[in-house]
Amino acid sequence: MSLQTPRVLPAHLHAFHPSNASAHVTNTVRILGTVTALRGDTATITCGNNGDVTLILKPDSHLQMGRLVEVVGKVADVDQGLGIRVLGTTDWGNPADCDYKIYENVVNATHRFKSVFYDA
Amino acid sequence: MDSGYGYGSSYGGGGGGFMPGETSSPSGRRSDGNNTTLRPITIKQALDATQQHPEADFHIDGADVGNIYFVGQVRNISTQSTNVTYRIDDGTGEIEVKQWIDSATADTMDTNDPKKSQVVNNGYAKVFGKIKMFGNKRFVGSHCVRPVSNLNEVHCHFLEATAVHLFFTKGPVGGAGSAGGAGAGAGAGGADATMGGVDDYSARGLPAMSPVAKRVYHLLKTEPQSNEGLHAQLIAAKLSLPMPDVARAGDELLTSGVIFSTVDEQTWAILEY
Repeated sequence: MSLQTPRVLPAHLHAFHPSNASAHVTNTVRILGTVTALRGDTATITCGNNGDVTLILKPDSHLQMGRLVEVVGKVADVDQGLGIRVLGTTDWGNPADCDYKIYENVVNATHRFKSVFYDA
Repeated sequence: MDSGYGYGSSYGGGGGGFMPGETSSPSGRRSDGNNTTLRPITIKQALDATQQHPEADFHIDGADVGNIYFVGQVRNISTQSTNVTYRIDDGTGEIEVKQWIDSATADTMDTNDPKKSQVVNNGYAKVFGKIKMFGNKRFVGSHCVRPVSNLNEVHCHFLEATAVHLFFTKGPVGGAGSAGGAGAGAGAGGADATMGGVDDYSARGLPAMSPVAKRVYHLLKTEPQSNEGLHAQLIAAKLSLPMPDVARAGDELLTSGVIFSTVDEQTWAILEY
């Protein structure tokens, strides 16, 4: 299936970088985090205790500070390393309503039992 | 008629009448109504599901699937006169979902209730239904599509789908071969407690076998029985599996020499050694 967007944590971004394209057909990923900085055309999300990710926004991305967002985007180079070029975002409201640990376990499960979720 | 047939012939008509019905009836004993299980899956699993012949039930991880449910993001909604078609994407794939509009309830509060039609584009939804084919296209015929508003439910669903996948591929928690994966998710402590009697499979180095064969072996191992063992039809009934699957599993176990046939070819007992 062409439309797969693996769920990841910041530490996994390098595996989906276009330069690693041989290993993965896709460099489109899905990540979850809380919006902690907005700077016009870029933003930062904090992914639980797993660090921050810089997002390159689209003109029509409407992120709000302090909200939990699920981001679908392509792994891209930003100033200090890797970031995500946003394709779409989903607002999930108050970060307190979501247990980030569960998400970490989901990411873990999707990579461990890959055949259930993603093509090789 | 479907459901009556399988039982009637398995008990009343004897093995001879049962087997041909099982394999030649095009709509099969297993279609609608008989398999009332509800299984959590990912969309990739729905797309990868295999079908023995048209109209047969789909198989995922070697197990029949009846009803399924999954969680995903709604990419498109198109309302037609007889149905609403959704395109759902859960990150593992994309599939079309058709929900038929029931004309009997369409006029009443159900579909016109603004509170109910909260499934929106790019929002998340939980879909309950059955995998169907139309021509070469696979879709899900759904009787319930409802919005999901808590992200934990989405994540929980993926973990559930994984747990069920592991159940079918590695056997029940604490059962055969659970040492590898299932223990990790379920917590090793819990698995150990129930493992005692059962896990001596892997210790004795059982050969690799299909999930169905594992279940048959497990039943033979645990079910109270005389030294004649169990008849294949009894096994089929106990595991609610179709006879051909049990027969195949039996062949597999016979070939690998872990069971042997006793009073006749269809009655098996564990080969202790």
